[in-house]
Amino acid sequence: MAENGSSFLTSFVKMYGTLPLHGITAIPGKISGALMLTDAIEDAVPLIHGPVGCAFQRKVNPFKPHSPFHTTPCTNLNDTDVVYGGEEKLEQGIRETYERYHPNLIMVITTCPSDLIGDDVEAVTREVSSEVGCDVVYSTGDFVGRSKPVGYQDAFYAITDQMLCNGTGNGDPERNEGSVNIVTFPIHGAGIKVAEMASVLGDMEIGVNKVCFDHTRVEDLYELPKADLNITDYPMEWAKLMDERSDVGCYEILGWGRYSEEKDPELLSPYGISGSSRVFMEIAEMMGKDGEAEEVIERRRRDAEERLSKARKDLKGVKIAAIGGLHGVGLNLFKDAGVDVSVLICRTQIMESRLTEEAIKEIVDMNLNLAEICGFDPEALVNPTIEEEIKAIKRSETDLVIAPSTSAHLYNREGVRTFDPTSFVIHHQRVGFECPIELCQMLKGALRTPERRTPLLSMLKHDSQMHGLTPHWAKLSRAFNLLRADTIGDRVDVDADIDRAERGPDK
Amino acid sequence: MSLIYDPPQDCKLVGAVRAIHGVSDSITIIHARPGCHCGMLLLKALGSNQNDVRVISSGFRAQDTVYGAEGRLSAAIQHSQEYFEPGLIAALNCSAPVIMGDDIDGVASVMEEGIPAALMTLATGGYEGPAWVGYEEALVKFTDYMIPVERPSANKVNLIGIKTDDVNAAGDLTEIRRILKDHGIEINTVLADASFDEIKSAPDASLNVVLGGDGLECAKVMRERFGIPYITTPYPFGVKKTTEFIEKVTNGLGREIEIELIDREVELVREGVERVCMFLQGLYDMPVAVIGESGRAFDLAEFLSDELGLNVKVLAISGKNYLTPDRLEDGNGHFGNVLIEPDRFEMNDLIKRAGVSAIFGSTFEKHLSSELKAPLIRVSYPVIDEVRITDSPYAGFRGTLHLCETIINAVITQNIEEIEE
Repeated sequence: MAENGSSFLTSFVKMYGTLPLHGITAIPGKISGALMLTDAIEDAVPLIHGPVGCAFQRKVNPFKPHSPFHTTPCTNLNDTDVVYGGEEKLEQGIRETYERYHPNLIMVITTCPSDLIGDDVEAVTREVSSEVGCDVVYSTGDFVGRSKPVGYQDAFYAITDQMLCNGTGNGDPERNEGSVNIVTFPIHGAGIKVAEMASVLGDMEIGVNKVCFDHTRVEDLYELPKADLNITDYPMEWAKLMDERSDVGCYEILGWGRYSEEKDPELLSPYGISGSSRVFMEIAEMMGKDGEAEEVIERRRRDAEERLSKARKDLKGVKIAAIGGLHGVGLNLFKDAGVDVSVLICRTQIMESRLTEEAIKEIVDMNLNLAEICGFDPEALVNPTIEEEIKAIKRSETDLVIAPSTSAHLYNREGVRTFDPTSFVIHHQRVGFECPIELCQMLKGALRTPERRTPLLSMLKHDSQMHGLTPHWAKLSRAFNLLRADTIGDRVDVDADIDRAERGPDK
Repeated sequence: MSLIYDPPQDCKLVGAVRAIHGVSDSITIIHARPGCHCGMLLLKALGSNQNDVRVISSGFRAQDTVYGAEGRLSAAIQHSQEYFEPGLIAALNCSAPVIMGDDIDGVASVMEEGIPAALMTLATGGYEGPAWVGYEEALVKFTDYMIPVERPSANKVNLIGIKTDDVNAAGDLTEIRRILKDHGIEINTVLADASFDEIKSAPDASLNVVLGGDGLECAKVMRERFGIPYITTPYPFGVKKTTEFIEKVTNGLGREIEIELIDREVELVREGVERVCMFLQGLYDMPVAVIGESGRAFDLAEFLSDELGLNVKVLAISGKNYLTPDRLEDGNGHFGNVLIEPDRFEMNDLIKRAGVSAIFGSTFEKHLSSELKAPLIRVSYPVIDEVRITDSPYAGFRGTLHLCETIINAVITQNIEEIEE
């Protein structure tokens, strides 16, 4: 990777990062999520219990469109099977999948037809698994309620439930005392993103039992219950199950559950020097290593801050227009970088059909509170037009706008430089003390970019509210969100949503 | 033969969407769980018409499997009308609502009075058939909206079998139009690359030209309903097939082919061939595999073998059409081992054993091509990792040179690590 943190992979991923999917115009189905997990396990193979389309169309990977799922065998259900059932096909299909691919795990993924006709997938799987030389697990999407992404959560839950902690002794292996598992969403380079965390934990005398997903194999999964703690990005149903059955605790880096109780916005900001210190200390407390941790965190922090003070030298006085929300570059990181957030832009349009007004207000307030805690006093803009934004940006003499490449050209043509948060969030934002230093380098790089006054993208019309979308895609987005939510009135408030995530399966 | 099937083809839904999306003022409602909608949207958005994706979801959710989702579908129809003001709204009933028994025809019938757009419905349960059947059925459905003409225009033809999301479809169509225009023949309606009004006026033509066999059923129905005769032609890849295409169309209209025009075109091809003759000599006898749909792959394979001199070791037909059995008969040895809708695992195995140096296929052959360190020339659906925004065709006389250019470049631009022994 180059000094500025770029590599071909980051550029390649970015090419597809502009697709407005994931809740904007579409939601990937459960098969895609289950395939993503299966694909992340090197010696696992999926078996889709359904017709050809469920196997062919799902080759397009909505989580990584640049990387299709190459192996997607299916049981090829047809109309006769829909009438008479597909259990025999499934039985034979599992045997053939084993004979053909020789995997260590077959993940049976059910589909709409097999779900609706009532095939007893559990019984078939149980029966055949003793005949093949590998584990066989099935995922229906029904194990985890509304925990998102459903397919991914469900498949991981299925592995834990049916394989790792299934009550046959697997879930009670010899413990790797004093160790943790670090398990991240298997999208881009888990190994790289958790390396520093593993190193800091090592200094605290906390061992890392397993990092997932980083060339993970089935034998690695079997090792998961040996650890004392699972560290995950978000609430994970499988981790709660492993806690229940095998006494492996779980720690979520993004403290959604605790936020709903304490209303402390810093709980949703685990990055930067202070956020990372808090996370490391909380992990250490759970592992009974708080004594060791204090010294390690202090030392690591001091070392990072020394380098950070040099890295942020040229950023003093630089004004940033940041984007609020639940995702994106954490405001803590801007504080560490020594820049001033002069404008805070909150966009709520996508959320409006799914969240109540109170919930949206809470998200906006949470961002403003966090800005205040970080010592910023920005001009807050809620759902501004681009003209309003540009005015505020110019009025405040803002130097840099945090804008994804979908809308960067709108600022650039006005002579305002931009910084792409998407690549940073995907490839760099993580718990650790090095991340703010990387951010400083990248911000400085962005400030050095030439003025781009005539981008071709400016020739296009854009939606007045959703700047990153053309008017046509904005219509698709509005139609999608309206049709998905409004007709059944399933708006939620933030607390209820968080509660549900915490509570787990909505059986 | 294995029961498990890693398919090279999609389900009925995708075939139907490919036909309907060719109607430029249509909206397709995917009445299904979110995965089908997301998959369709991705296939469209990753192509070369990113600002012309007209596929929406009915918002079907898990809880609807208990009480039905007809209400959602009617809301989707209503909103499609309000947001997009289309000429045609097509509601496609996918696996879950088909099994549940959602009455989408009933919904359409109740709503049609209040909706200015035409409402079309189609059962597209994933288990009901492959993509090509969905394509055929959707084209046949279009005939319901066509307006009979007493005296159809002479020298006007309809082209049937175009899929706008095929590689270079726009360029191919431009080239075909040009060639026909040079012969004084006008294209009336392209099925399906037309506005809904143009679809309606399809009967104002003297001949239906079925390209590569795709849409044959529609041509038969149009003959029955509107008395329009049809011919089947090859997909015009290469000089030979293009000439055959023009011959068949002109003869179908009761006219003669204009030899001088053809000679002029062939001369231009010759000049192009001359410019890269040494590389073309180098390509001669290169072992290759071709994977693609019946409507194009047979003709492409024949062009590669007969005109470029490549050695087609494997021809895998990823999706059939009604002419596939006939095409198998007339290969004259140009097709090598032919597989029809094979299992991908078995197909890959055969291609690996065949020792090919290049693969003509879709994005889904990328992994295989990497394994074999053989260049992948993207000629078949779906291509979601290459875009085309210029009108360079693969079809016709001009397309012949473009194909030559693409193939030569694919071979000689391979990265060093891909050619290391």
